[in-house]
Amino acid sequence: MAAKKETKSIDVAKGFDELEAIAAWFEQGDGDVDQGLKKFERAMTLADSLKQRLDEAENSIRDIKKRFTSEE
Amino acid sequence: MRLLQVSEFVEVVNTILKETLSLEVFAVEGEVSGYRVSQGQWVSFDLKDDNALVNVFLPLWKLQVPVEDGMRVKVIGLPRVYPKYGKFSLSAERIELTGEGALRKALAALRVRLEKEGMFDPSRKRGLPRFPERIALIASRESAAYGDFIRVLSERWGGLKIDLYHVVVQGERAPDDITAALTQASSGEYDAIIVTRGGGSFEELMCFNDERVVRAIHASKIPTMVAIGHERDLTLAEEAADVRGSTPTDCARRLVPDRRDVQYELATLLSSIETEMLGRVEHGRSLIERALNAPASWIGLQRSALREQTSRLETGVRQWLRSLQERLAADLRLLGSLDPKAVLSRGYAIVRDASGNGIGSATLLHSGDALRVTFHDGEVQARVDGTDQQKLL
Repeated sequence: MAAKKETKSIDVAKGFDELEAIAAWFEQGDGDVDQGLKKFERAMTLADSLKQRLDEAENSIRDIKKRFTSEE
Repeated sequence: MRLLQVSEFVEVVNTILKETLSLEVFAVEGEVSGYRVSQGQWVSFDLKDDNALVNVFLPLWKLQVPVEDGMRVKVIGLPRVYPKYGKFSLSAERIELTGEGALRKALAALRVRLEKEGMFDPSRKRGLPRFPERIALIASRESAAYGDFIRVLSERWGGLKIDLYHVVVQGERAPDDITAALTQASSGEYDAIIVTRGGGSFEELMCFNDERVVRAIHASKIPTMVAIGHERDLTLAEEAADVRGSTPTDCARRLVPDRRDVQYELATLLSSIETEMLGRVEHGRSLIERALNAPASWIGLQRSALREQTSRLETGVRQWLRSLQERLAADLRLLGSLDPKAVLSRGYAIVRDASGNGIGSATLLHSGDALRVTFHDGEVQARVDGTDQQKLL
């Protein structure tokens, strides 16, 4: 439920910004392992949420389109 | 013999002159000399030929043509002796210009004067309506111009209501006739007034150079077109008109469009309206299409951005882990080279005293000292047998 809630409320643009920042952090090649693992997990969660959000949006678009084209 | 007083004599002479030389009997032609206007209302000049001279006198308002010295004119009037000064003169009723030269000169002067008044000002000219419905036609009923005009008009366009104002179009009466017709037509409900006649000589067309006619055209409340037949010289009436036609036929062409042209124009117009409308619909459709596809395209873009970020992240994480591992391996190698056990395996041993203190020099030992010797694979107890202080190297 919590994951779903996050998907609904996730701001796609901000999500992308955060994901990018984490990728950059890893590219610097420094840092603490625990911190790295936490960041990696966060990045995976974000990517998953973004993917789900995009899937949902695509479905909504298809539904709306279908609703209007069938009314023609 | 009768004896007369001076005034009686002058009166007798004047009576005889009046009875003998009435207006219908004669006109005098000659050249103007010493033309002058006094008090703004009296005109006098000498009329002369090679051998004689007579004074001419008339009020300014009776003078209908521009007169100046050197012009040839025809004077219609009564000869009389002016009692007060005993002066013989011709009291003119009317003055006409004679000879084309004089007419042209007078016309040029009139043109200049009227032009100064703005009678020919192009900015004042009005256009004719494209589809006139009711027109006033000022022409001679018997003229070819009238016939030509009507024929071409009906060939080109139908349903026009035409009121003919029949006028004489040359001679003495013509200017009054035309002026009256213009004034009357101007107060009517017309879309245009047309004045036309066929070609003629310079003198024949002089009525269209008459100041009254020009002023009536200028004053017309309704757009006026004047067309005088083929003639080299433009008449003042044509110059004052809103529109000028070169001939009565041309006049008809200018007044109404050809119905075939209008039909063609309509068809073209309809077709271009249709094309325009269809174009707009098509444009609208493509806008809608683009708008409908936009969200899907946006999602597609976002997806590929997400893929890119995820793959960047994975690569980053792999590189990060590898760099950590490489650091660890380097540290391990360094530690390995520093391990004393590795030295022992090459055949060295560690010597310590019984208490376990490392012995770093032979000089510290004496015979009988107990030693612990550590090899890479174990330890032995030993005792110093003797000392030999000789240096190894």
